[in-house]
Amino acid sequence: MAKESVESGLTWEVRANSRPYHKHKQKKSFLCFHWGRYADNLVCSYKYSPLTFLPLTLFEQFQRVANLYFLLMVVLQCVPVISSIPWYITIIPLLSVLSARGLKDLANDLTRRRSDTEINSRPCDVLLSQSFSTMQWKDLFVGDVLRIHKDQVIPADILLLCSSEPHSLCYVETADIDGETNLKYRQALSATHNELTSHPTEEALAAFDGVVLCEEPNNRLYTFRGQLHWRRECLLLDHEHILLRGTVLRNTEFAYGLTIYTGADTKILRNCGKLRVKRTQTEKVFNRLVMGIVLSVLLAALLLAIGSGVFSSWVMSNTGVLSALVVNGNPAYTGFLIFWSYIILLSPAMPIALYITFELIHTVHSLFIGWDMEMYWQPADRPAQARNTSMSEELGQVGYLLSDKTGTLTQNRLLFRQCCIAGEIYGDASVLAEDTEPMDLSWNPFSCGGLFMSATSLVEKLRGQQCPLSRQFLTALALCHTVMAEWKEEAPVYQAASPDEEALVGAARELGWVFLSRTRDFIVVSELGVTRQYQLLALLDFTSQRRCMSVLVREPEGGLKLYCKGADIVILERLQKDCPYQERIERSLELFAQACLRTLCVAVRSVPEASWEQWSKTLAQSAAMATCDRDVLLEKLYDQMERDLQLLGVTAIEDRLQEGVPETIALLKQAGLKVWVLTGDKKETAVNIGYSCKLLDPDTRLLEWHELREILQSPDPGVSFFKARQTELWAVDKGRDGEKTAVVLTGPELAEFDQRPEWGATFMSLAEQCQSVLCCRVTPGQKADIVTLVRKHTSSVTMSIGDGANDVNMIKTAHVGVGIAGVEGGQAVQNADFALSQFRFLQRLLLVHGRWSYRRISLFLRYFLFKTCGFALVHIWFGIFNGCSAQSLYETWFIALYTVFYTATPIMLVAFFEQDVSAESSLKWPELYKSGQRQELSSPLMLSLSLLYAVYASLVLFFIPFGVFYDTAVDYQTMAVTVAMAATFTATIEIVLVTRYWTKFNIASVCVSVVLFFICTRITHNPRLFQKSPQDYLFLGVSDKAFVDPLVWLTALLTAWMAVLPSVTALALNVILTVHDKHKVHSASHQPVELRSKLRRGTSLRRSSYALSQGAGPGRFITSGTCSRSTAPPVDEKMTSNNNPTDSQGQINMKDNSDAPNGTQ
Amino acid sequence: MGRTKKMVKEELANRPDNTAFTQQRLPAWQPMLSAGIVIPGFVIIGLAFIGIGVALFVTSQSIQLLELDYTGVEQTSPCFKCSDPNAKNCMCELTFSTDTLFKGPVFFYYGLSNYFQNYRSYGVSKDDDQLSGNLDNFKSPSDTCAPYEYDRNNKPFVPCGAVANSLFNDTFKLYQIVNGAKKVVPLDGKGISWWTDYNIKYRNPAVTPLKNAFNGTVKPLYWSKPAYELDPSDPANNGFINQDFLVWMRRAALPDFRKLYRRITDGDYAEGLPAGNYSLQIAYNYPVLSFEGRKKVVFSNVSWMGGKNEFLGIAYLVIGSLCVVMSVVMLIVYAKFKFPEEE
Repeated sequence: MAKESVESGLTWEVRANSRPYHKHKQKKSFLCFHWGRYADNLVCSYKYSPLTFLPLTLFEQFQRVANLYFLLMVVLQCVPVISSIPWYITIIPLLSVLSARGLKDLANDLTRRRSDTEINSRPCDVLLSQSFSTMQWKDLFVGDVLRIHKDQVIPADILLLCSSEPHSLCYVETADIDGETNLKYRQALSATHNELTSHPTEEALAAFDGVVLCEEPNNRLYTFRGQLHWRRECLLLDHEHILLRGTVLRNTEFAYGLTIYTGADTKILRNCGKLRVKRTQTEKVFNRLVMGIVLSVLLAALLLAIGSGVFSSWVMSNTGVLSALVVNGNPAYTGFLIFWSYIILLSPAMPIALYITFELIHTVHSLFIGWDMEMYWQPADRPAQARNTSMSEELGQVGYLLSDKTGTLTQNRLLFRQCCIAGEIYGDASVLAEDTEPMDLSWNPFSCGGLFMSATSLVEKLRGQQCPLSRQFLTALALCHTVMAEWKEEAPVYQAASPDEEALVGAARELGWVFLSRTRDFIVVSELGVTRQYQLLALLDFTSQRRCMSVLVREPEGGLKLYCKGADIVILERLQKDCPYQERIERSLELFAQACLRTLCVAVRSVPEASWEQWSKTLAQSAAMATCDRDVLLEKLYDQMERDLQLLGVTAIEDRLQEGVPETIALLKQAGLKVWVLTGDKKETAVNIGYSCKLLDPDTRLLEWHELREILQSPDPGVSFFKARQTELWAVDKGRDGEKTAVVLTGPELAEFDQRPEWGATFMSLAEQCQSVLCCRVTPGQKADIVTLVRKHTSSVTMSIGDGANDVNMIKTAHVGVGIAGVEGGQAVQNADFALSQFRFLQRLLLVHGRWSYRRISLFLRYFLFKTCGFALVHIWFGIFNGCSAQSLYETWFIALYTVFYTATPIMLVAFFEQDVSAESSLKWPELYKSGQRQELSSPLMLSLSLLYAVYASLVLFFIPFGVFYDTAVDYQTMAVTVAMAATFTATIEIVLVTRYWTKFNIASVCVSVVLFFICTRITHNPRLFQKSPQDYLFLGVSDKAFVDPLVWLTALLTAWMAVLPSVTALALNVILTVHDKHKVHSASHQPVELRSKLRRGTSLRRSSYALSQGAGPGRFITSGTCSRSTAPPVDEKMTSNNNPTDSQGQINMKDNSDAPNGTQ
Repeated sequence: MGRTKKMVKEELANRPDNTAFTQQRLPAWQPMLSAGIVIPGFVIIGLAFIGIGVALFVTSQSIQLLELDYTGVEQTSPCFKCSDPNAKNCMCELTFSTDTLFKGPVFFYYGLSNYFQNYRSYGVSKDDDQLSGNLDNFKSPSDTCAPYEYDRNNKPFVPCGAVANSLFNDTFKLYQIVNGAKKVVPLDGKGISWWTDYNIKYRNPAVTPLKNAFNGTVKPLYWSKPAYELDPSDPANNGFINQDFLVWMRRAALPDFRKLYRRITDGDYAEGLPAGNYSLQIAYNYPVLSFEGRKKVVFSNVSWMGGKNEFLGIAYLVIGSLCVVMSVVMLIVYAKFKFPEEE
């Protein structure tokens, strides 16, 4: 047996009720050694323990090259022979950086620890020696038998053994896994059900000694392969028997299960992806530049060292005063020491203050995001939150927005808004659902609200028994569905596999046609208070190919009726000839579609007794046939039955979008973002939402997989794509039609990309020309794969937004992850970089905060580069004139204070407050956002230009004073003060040029910085300080003379002006040339709304769909009778008694699901 | 009323503050630049620079300057004989004449070129504690003075270090030749150093007589006289506060430099040096040829901007003109962009 199982890949062995066995094999680790097989159920996302904190945090921090570099500088400065600057100038900032980062990490880790503890200590009932006792999640082991209560979150992946419901059925909500909120059915094996429910449950469970052999833990959510070996029987297991961690048990008192995968082995955690440290694009470019600077500094130091060696040997050849100063009389050794001295001397070009300030600015930007009133969601008292505080500028560069659907774009609330019966339209969808006048439905005892349609005329007609068509329409709604009714407090509560159906049945209830209960053979409906029992003869279930479903019922009066509902294309082609009102109904279909409503056609047919008898016979025969033939036959049979229909009307359902979604998407599209939707939901739903949230235009051509595949396989994809677009005849405006294409893909189709990696690039280049891409029925892992695909083949910044656990992986994978803080706390938020309460806040987050932040940080980086390099590189030029001796041109105090006091605050305030346009204008002209996507301000070219400018400035800073002071009596210290003054003036003028938004703080800080230069210089030149420590304050008295010397002032002014001249000129030219650009921005925003031609007709506009959950409809549960519950009114009781799964293959078995495209892999 | 307010506050604990700062609505001045501001701005700045440049240039032109190289490289030079490194106590004499009155006060500099006083290890080779009169550092100078810390007998140099050791030791005497006779031009050596250097930075130890402080020490290697005998004529001008020593210790910024030697302010020459012939007697001690250096003396008078400096004035003129030219270019560009139809 064991061998067999190894061969089939079933190597994961779980023995029920044998704790010691599994405990022995539990995964353990010490340092980097791991052993054991089964993970424990402990979620552990924190990194540090009190012991490991210090070494780990230091290790992590010194992985940053910058920190290591600064440490090297400190070490070098401690060596007296080469120390050109005192050591304390670098070590204090370094220590503060290290401790600040360490504390931040610690705080983050503590939060993580807290949330881990919260999850790990959730209670669950574990069977221990004959009875259930409450334990914490973390104490759970593989092989434990659990009892899950109603509404409890399932703590691990478990095998359902039995439940408190008939036939050991149970319902789970998988919203956290696939985003679908409708309930899913899971059923235990009949063997375990029969054996374990017959005895007192606990004893039977304690005696359960089955062994599960299954596949190793993996991330495939919708498959499971395994066997249960029990009582010498081998029972096959699939995913229908498994309850996944993170799902919620609903409508089931108790479910009993055997733990199979725990903790890190569970499918959802396997789907979570790895936590990776995110670096922003700007940071990456900048880091590369820093590396460049460091390398240039090394090169310059090397050249200067060589120069120094040459100079030393020249000095040695003479008998001058300097010759004795050559260290050890060895020019090469002198050069070696000078090399290090120059590295120290030039290190302020890349000061540590940069990193501190960078961090600080990020933090402030994050605070601004949290403080924004416009992103504060009052109903939940929740402001926006920047969880990752170092990403804000990335928000200004997003090129691809990959969005989840359920809970992100939609509220997942379906409302019955309109209907058209017999050509008459009821309800008005142009009124907001909340604003509809509530109808007086007090006559209906079952009414419990939830109908957002005002149609008193319909109610009058119905109650007045005037219109038989409308009565039939509602009967169809009340009969043709797979909804279950559960009785709670004297009213039916509907459990539907599809939210659409729930909305339809609910609407029928409000209007007086109340679906009361169903058994295998009967459906009980109260029609305006009259209880009628319909015999259910057949249920022709929904599949995504058929796109419709029907019920064949015998009316209490004895007549046979087929009620059918489905997508309009399907129904309209099956109508009887000369169907009344058809034209008017078709027009209403278009109207509903324009209002972005989801439509369904409802039709009826009276079936003659004779044809039914014949049909049912054939059906019974075909049901007994082999699988593949049977499916084809069944399809045909259904086809025979669903014809000559009489059209009753159309229903229109609104899939409620989150507030402001269409506006936001339209704005983001204008801003140049590509919005993709990735959802685990059905294709129909996704496409529909695509239209209703203005992601797709009404005339957008959908490119489906088979077309796309042809294009991808063709030798020249670009041409084929163009041709594919050309086939659309209505595309009059050829220049624009490229944008009017969207790709729709589903999960299994995407899986083909794994086999054909070369398609990725082609696909992305096509997708770039498309309006959008919709990916439906994708697993969390696939969502992440799509993000990776986009990241790999474009240089754009990707952003993922989602709300559920199924989005965690993609949120982690994207450059920027945004979590929507929904009704539930949400794992998405836990893993996101930013948390929002509403999708519409995204526009402000991106267009306002992102844009500003990007601009501010780019300005900051460029200015910082300029001021530090410009100031430090002076030493290279000075080196040429001092024998390359690593002589500093500045007082050491000036080097220390320049970056901290004289130039730090103004740029910091610019990085805090700068606004080129106001928030309102940013939203008004979303085109402004595009400059961030193109990285206009932070491209390597721009940063290199700043660097070049800095080199120029350093040349000016040295050579103008050099020219002035050459061959004069001015001493070194006066020249040092002059150059320092010029450097400060240059930095100040430059910041004045950079600042466009002068708050009082900016003005004050610029003034204070300059004043501070004079004050601090006077202080460090103070005689008293010199007397205290002559070594450190050698410049005493210099500023007394220099600050009153006109020559010094004139030189400094000239130098500063000359240094900033390129910048001033560029600004001036910019002012002169951009006059016209501003007009462009204004005119671009007033583009006239496109008026589309009336050419589009037919199906391209209509969006009629009927979508069920992934996989097949629940019809088989209904027809097999396993779902009927004894909570229904008395009529049911005698029915339930003969409900036995064994005779479920009775005369009218409608098992048609076997061919249902079980799209999930 | 107050209660409801409190309730609301409690309920909305996370509500952000609605202040101008948190909402990024701080009142701000956003200067809107336009061509109407930028171009005239450039013109004004350019004109201002040209103005300053003209003033500087004119001032610089009015300054009289006389430079005399006495290195003695050329055989014709009167100091040629002294340029031999083996010559001891060599004296040479330079004659020059002025056609007009050299307006006073005349500053008398000596200049050195290709002399790297800004060499780092040269610059740090001194003991600031010793120079501020700390007797402990007389006995054991700081190791920054290396290699001029101790002599061969392990006696400390005072003052130690390379800077002090290389003190410029040429001396000059200036005579006006009146009717063939030499008339001494009095040179004023007082107050040629910085006030802070003389009064704070350099102090002699509080020992009288000064000589006693130097017991157990030796004079620097290249010095002919110990520090306490630098100026035999004025006992107060000895030790570390000797004016020439102070001037020398204030390091030059660049390899070509001048240092103030004396001022001519006294007696008949307070108004300046009258036209006539002069003779400069030089005690040639300082070797510069070994490192291809040059020595010169410079006579100059000063203005508000210090000594003669043509570079600054010209630089101001160039940059000022550049700004004006640029404004013209901008005007053309602007005209082209503003009225493209008319082009």
